[in-house]
Amino acid sequence: MRSLAMTRRLIVGLAAVFVAFAMTAGAQAAGKTIKIGVIYDYTGPLAGGGSDLQALGAKIMIDHINSQGGVEGYMIEPIYADAQSKPEVAINEAVRLIEQEKVDMLLGFYSSAQCVPVAAKVDSLKKFMWITTCISPAVLKGRNLKYVFRPQVHGAMFGELSVDFLNSNAQSKMGIDPKKLRVAIIHEDGPYGSGVAGGNEAAAKKFGMNLVLKEGYSATAPDLSSLVTKLKRKRPDVILHTGYNPDISLFLRQSKEQGLRFKALIGHGAGYGVVDKLYDTIGNDIDHVFNVDPVSIWLLDPNSLAPGLAAVTKKVGDEYEKAKPGVTVKSAHVGMAASNAHVFFSDVLPRAIKKYGGIDAESLRKAALETDIAEGGTLLGFGVKFPGAGKSDMMGQNTRASPVVMQYVGRKVYIAWPKALQTIDPILPLPKSSPYAK
Amino acid sequence: MFAEFTEALFSIFFVETLINGLLLGGVLALLSLGLNLIFGVIDVVWICYAEIIMLGMYTIYFLHVDGGMPLIAAVACGVGVTACLGWLTHRLVIGYLLQAAPINQLLATGGLLFFFQGAAMVAFGVEFRSLGVSLGSLALSEDIYLSWTRLLSFTIAAGVVVVLYQFLARSYLGAAIRAISQDREIMILMGVDTKKLYLLTSAIGGGLAGLAAALLALQYDVHPFIGLSFGPITFMICVMGGLGNMVGGFLAAFVFSELITIGGYFAELEWGYVMAFVFFIASMFVRPEGLFARKS
Repeated sequence: MRSLAMTRRLIVGLAAVFVAFAMTAGAQAAGKTIKIGVIYDYTGPLAGGGSDLQALGAKIMIDHINSQGGVEGYMIEPIYADAQSKPEVAINEAVRLIEQEKVDMLLGFYSSAQCVPVAAKVDSLKKFMWITTCISPAVLKGRNLKYVFRPQVHGAMFGELSVDFLNSNAQSKMGIDPKKLRVAIIHEDGPYGSGVAGGNEAAAKKFGMNLVLKEGYSATAPDLSSLVTKLKRKRPDVILHTGYNPDISLFLRQSKEQGLRFKALIGHGAGYGVVDKLYDTIGNDIDHVFNVDPVSIWLLDPNSLAPGLAAVTKKVGDEYEKAKPGVTVKSAHVGMAASNAHVFFSDVLPRAIKKYGGIDAESLRKAALETDIAEGGTLLGFGVKFPGAGKSDMMGQNTRASPVVMQYVGRKVYIAWPKALQTIDPILPLPKSSPYAK
Repeated sequence: MFAEFTEALFSIFFVETLINGLLLGGVLALLSLGLNLIFGVIDVVWICYAEIIMLGMYTIYFLHVDGGMPLIAAVACGVGVTACLGWLTHRLVIGYLLQAAPINQLLATGGLLFFFQGAAMVAFGVEFRSLGVSLGSLALSEDIYLSWTRLLSFTIAAGVVVVLYQFLARSYLGAAIRAISQDREIMILMGVDTKKLYLLTSAIGGGLAGLAAALLALQYDVHPFIGLSFGPITFMICVMGGLGNMVGGFLAAFVFSELITIGGYFAELEWGYVMAFVFFIASMFVRPEGLFARKS
């Protein structure tokens, strides 16, 4: 009897072990994952300057893809890391995620100052990197990186568009011949600001504009009064500004207090893209300021997008409102990261798995090089196409990306340029109600 | 190039630059006063001083914007909170490290810096917040405008130096504080309760941080990392003026700010900071005890 009971217990025990083993094996078979290191600035000055909103956009998209059952049998396993607004931390985190966490690829990056060194490092480690945000041309230009891809617009395009907008509207709106337009370019002195300012300068020279000042400054400078005084001395009609925050609000505040007057101010993304906060900190003085950025996904006509994308845009908006209750103007930052992440999950990753059989860097690279999305095929409206090997000095850069010029009026965001997408006839020069009006 | 320089030199805007330098000096002087007082008496550098200012800014912001408290009352509360923080910093941390090696004291206050930053981030988030109060500006001519906030900072900094000087020179407590700053050991032998005096000094230093916070909150957005913009400069001003020498620190703030604004006016803005830092390094070679330090 005793040996029978023992045998029974042994059989039950073995059965339990077998069931447990079978369940684990089953779970492994059904639970393929792609581990993605997601790096943004969750702390430090860049976090409030727009990075936390970009991080939110990427997270919303990752959660959305997982809620749809993942991609071709792979669930997304994100490992979020904080670059702390410091390039050296971004590099360390990228290496840690690759070497210790064994991620399959990296996604994200807000600051160009981080992107420039991290892209080179990740490429040398032969890992795939998908940039959602940072825009400096220096990240890709002349580096021939193999595994780094950026669906995002690059900085020189930002700089060129604002000047193109001025060239087309100076005479008709301000009564000034573009060749006589006095333009000042001011920018934070990192790769982001320098890249955009380079685009500004090249385009201003191309159109023969009168460039009265071009100057960089540190985004953490505690005082910009000398810069404002110089601007007053140079008397520009238009100021082209590229900055993060809090330098933007400091500049606007000191400009108002020191009596700087101009006809137009055009910002270029980053701090200028956090509309809600600009209105909170500067108040209605921010009215009629322009901002160059990829378009806010909520401003696009849903009918201009490929089928199914309008629902994704709505989903991103709903999740944004859940995460940040009380937001009055949705920031373009959230939609930007969500759209650029969506391109990877809906186009590149499925092709890598189905056509190239995996999620290794080589398969992802081959899949990315075959991306061919027409205009209207992304949440941001523009298409996606990367240059073929050896065909560009900016390998990995989306050649179909384009920004727009937006204008803030009465806590609302409108598209002012290009003409085809206009939702407002641009208000130029600044109306007399503005404290900066010349 | 030379013509551009001459034009800039004889322009009315150079006058504005000089005045702006003075006004920025007022802000920096106010920031350095409390730090200098604490070092002069307790002989410990509070690396976390700018973070106490940051917490003062948050206090004023929440009481005024969210709590609807009148600005003056919110400022008074802000000064009270930072005075308590100063008192607590000494009571809970510095008090135990008075005999420790200077590097350990620095590490402890450095740790507090990260603690205050991290705590503010967890509690208040990373968003930039603004008081939304503008005092406007004073128009001296069609081209020259002076910020009322900065004029106020300058006046208050000058006023606080005078009041503090009088307090230290004429009051009984001030005399005790001066005595202890001259010889910490002997005062104990003479029956003075040094602990009380240290706590009082820390509270006064903290209160001055609250005053600086009030004026910064009128000019800058509040966020957990604002201390990074001011901490290093404040420390350098104190060193340049002679650590512990309040009048020296006050004057050094103006030297520093004029270098920043004049350099930034004639060259690129960043060159102003380069000039100020080069001057600081050079002054450390010539007078390591500080430009305005008294000879011992």
